[in-house]
Amino acid sequence: MGKRNRNRVGPRNAWLRAIGLCALILLIPKPPEAQEIGPAMKPGEAKAGTLLLRTAQGLRSAPTLHTDVQIEVTGMIARTTVEQRFHNPSDDWVEGVYAFPLPERSAVDTLALVVGGRLIVGEIQTREQARATYEKAKKEGRKASLLEQERPNIFTTSVSGIGPGEQVRIGIEYQEDLRYDQGGFSLRFPMVIGPRYIPGAQQLGVVDGAGWAVGTVPVADAEHITAVPVADAERITPPVVAPGSERMNRVRIRIELDAGMPLARVHSPSHAIRVESLEGTRFSVELSEQSVPADSDFVLSWRPAPSDAPVAAIFHEQKDGEHYALLMIMPPDPQQGRHEHLPRETIFVIDTSGSMHGESIEQAKRALVLALARLQPADRFNVIAFASTTRKLFPRAIHAQPTNIDQARSWVDGLEAEGGTEMLSALQVALDPAEEASRIRQVIFITDGAIGDEARLFSEIRKRIGRSRLFTVGIGSAPNSHFMARAAELGRGTSTLIGQLHEVQTKMGELFSKLESPMLHDIELGFEVGPVEVWPARVPDLYLGEPIVIAARLPELSGSWTVGGQRGSEPWQVDLALEGGRQQAGIARLWARRKIASLTGSLYDGADPGTVREAIVALGMRHHLVTRHTSLVAVDVTPTVPPGVSPDTRALPVHLPKGWSYEHVFGELRARERPRPPLPDVLRMTRNTQRLPQGGTPAAFLLWIGLGCLLTSAWFLRTRSTT
Amino acid sequence: MVPANPFHHVSRRRWAQALFAVGCVCVAHAAWIPAKAGLAQLLLDRAWERSQIEGVETPPWPWADTHPIAKLQVPRLGIRRMVLAGISGRTLAFGPGHYDGSAQPGAADNIVLAGHRDTHFAFLRELVPGDEILLEASSGIRQRFRVNQTQVLHEREAEVMEPTGRAQLTLITCFPFDALVPGGPLRFVVRAGAVGTHQARIQSPRFSSIGGIFDSR
Repeated sequence: MGKRNRNRVGPRNAWLRAIGLCALILLIPKPPEAQEIGPAMKPGEAKAGTLLLRTAQGLRSAPTLHTDVQIEVTGMIARTTVEQRFHNPSDDWVEGVYAFPLPERSAVDTLALVVGGRLIVGEIQTREQARATYEKAKKEGRKASLLEQERPNIFTTSVSGIGPGEQVRIGIEYQEDLRYDQGGFSLRFPMVIGPRYIPGAQQLGVVDGAGWAVGTVPVADAEHITAVPVADAERITPPVVAPGSERMNRVRIRIELDAGMPLARVHSPSHAIRVESLEGTRFSVELSEQSVPADSDFVLSWRPAPSDAPVAAIFHEQKDGEHYALLMIMPPDPQQGRHEHLPRETIFVIDTSGSMHGESIEQAKRALVLALARLQPADRFNVIAFASTTRKLFPRAIHAQPTNIDQARSWVDGLEAEGGTEMLSALQVALDPAEEASRIRQVIFITDGAIGDEARLFSEIRKRIGRSRLFTVGIGSAPNSHFMARAAELGRGTSTLIGQLHEVQTKMGELFSKLESPMLHDIELGFEVGPVEVWPARVPDLYLGEPIVIAARLPELSGSWTVGGQRGSEPWQVDLALEGGRQQAGIARLWARRKIASLTGSLYDGADPGTVREAIVALGMRHHLVTRHTSLVAVDVTPTVPPGVSPDTRALPVHLPKGWSYEHVFGELRARERPRPPLPDVLRMTRNTQRLPQGGTPAAFLLWIGLGCLLTSAWFLRTRSTT
Repeated sequence: MVPANPFHHVSRRRWAQALFAVGCVCVAHAAWIPAKAGLAQLLLDRAWERSQIEGVETPPWPWADTHPIAKLQVPRLGIRRMVLAGISGRTLAFGPGHYDGSAQPGAADNIVLAGHRDTHFAFLRELVPGDEILLEASSGIRQRFRVNQTQVLHEREAEVMEPTGRAQLTLITCFPFDALVPGGPLRFVVRAGAVGTHQARIQSPRFSSIGGIFDSR
């Protein structure tokens, strides 16, 4: 890891970076798919299934999007360039709005807009200021682009003034530190936001987003803790492409991987990839297909040979006279075979909402059944299932006798995914303080996290966690990784993401070893030099196979640092020299990003929202970072939109995450409207049994029959009188 | 002259009486159906107005097991219909019904209404593409639709009732309009798309935001 970086002498300011990005964007040859998007489509040429909608003015279509992703991995750090090409197939001037996910720890620092070969670099401004700058440019008919953060892992780009048949390209760059767990690294590029369940009363009226949900109750800030809901629902719920549509948001991914150590394996559990080994420890990774639909998260994992596994790492950067460092240390494994089984109480919570329908619920059930098999008779357990309502298997946790396990297994087998995602009540039941026991209490929460009321849930976890530990298991092709990570952090547990059915066994196995091994707690850090500002301020407890990763700001990079803690009842401590390591641009931003995450987290401990907001704005402005309160905005100098034309706002439809069932998600959304009786869903019935309702009365029939009878009787009477 | 068979005589008379009675019942019933349909609409209209003013759900008549959930209007034809929840035969006798497996009135998805071809939905045959249809939900949301197309489908072509992801109105009735006997396999379907809003132009699975909803103008 300590190898010197040859080709990365970090550009120190945004200008150099921007020029680099410019060169990159301009040099990337236009991939052939760009042709696929094709020329402007005339209304008459509309094929069935294309996204053309009939309006008062005729047929209109949403802009299309192609995304190109270039990731450079150096050791534990990944720098990603995302190029989004918006194409407007219609004959109008439009504004494109695209909501997309990024990794929850990404530090987004660059936005660039390419107009006719010119590159306009985005500036950081406060969220309101940036919005105003953008709106002004839009009004003046200039091309402009705005990048805003909605959640730590949800961002929105708006691009105004896309002319008829025109293509506008924007570039976004971010940096993140990678997850190292169980001796392997993993990189996740999320591709789509699964439709989130938005609980609470619907707030009706005109809203400014372009999503499918309206906000629930107005609150100033979604990261605020409020009694209810999701004020910004429309901003995190992009429209969804209906199944069968030919429309595709396509993504191309290329990765330059320099792990800094010999690797035993590079693979992707999510997509088919081509791996090419370059000189040294470098690899080049590409998707086997040229591009894939943006409907499931891309995951790349690599694993060094066990003998080469890193035990410590230092990445550092000097910026404005200060030193920033990202420090990683792997605590040694406790000796094997020392796993004495401490009796535990394990509460399993499984999400059976409509979004879990299909493969997700199968993964979740399999994970749960594996977990049940692992229990010892001395343990106690319970299973909770939730959708629109929460159900407990047993009134309270009971001993894991074989008969009880069997009962639980058949109950789990019978679970079906349907309805809303009322996660709050499930959390309340799972973290019921009345159930607090003397033994270790572990709550395993299996869900896809497809909810929009994160803040409310986080605050509830913080309030109720007590001595329990919360372990989140994220399921499906596009889980809400921000929810998984933050919930586990607040619940002092750890999070596991399972994307594929075949991963369930390994991932759950890893989780069990964590649950069953003593964790490293009361971790303390010491530095010889000072003052040192370290984030996170309190290092969370660590489970087997997890490294300590911290970001520090120090006056100088010298002396040594000490890490210590308790593993079970045994103390553990290590001293490391604070020197060497790899110099790497962007470490300061990673430090700032971690600080922002900690500050946001402090809201759940009752920190003053005003102060936190101010601190976040200051960090965002100083480090040129997109945060909840700061956005990047890029504006072209010359107006291009003809005067008098105001572009239509068109939200870019996104795909449903792979494996999700359109009808069940809608069923779930519908369940919110009328929570009580499960509604008959047209789609769930087969077409053969479903019929259109009848719409005729027998009035005419009765009238004719009646008249016929009367006439006949008259005729009878008449013939009688003549006889 | 053939001597009249007494049995024959009695029979004829009885027959005549019986037929007369049946005929009267049938005609009365036939007359009652449109009368009930019209009267129910009047009462529903009143109940709607009252509930709009008082803000509480008012039953249209004391023993009613249904209530109006939306108001459907076609300005060009001067049509005004109160829409009821559900599409059971009992409901449809009083007014067009909302298929509760479809989107709720006001939502930005496919809203399916069904009605009788010879009473409340007889006007469907008059609709032509471009006609404006207004739908006001009990929540106060008003939606404006424009007829895109009318079509005749077989009753098994139930796809028209599926969610489409955008604000849309689907009106269904029996076909042909002047069939004598009800219960045929054909249906007359009117499809109308939302107008005047952005939401109408994008795929949106559920709940309108900007779209589908517009301010009362």
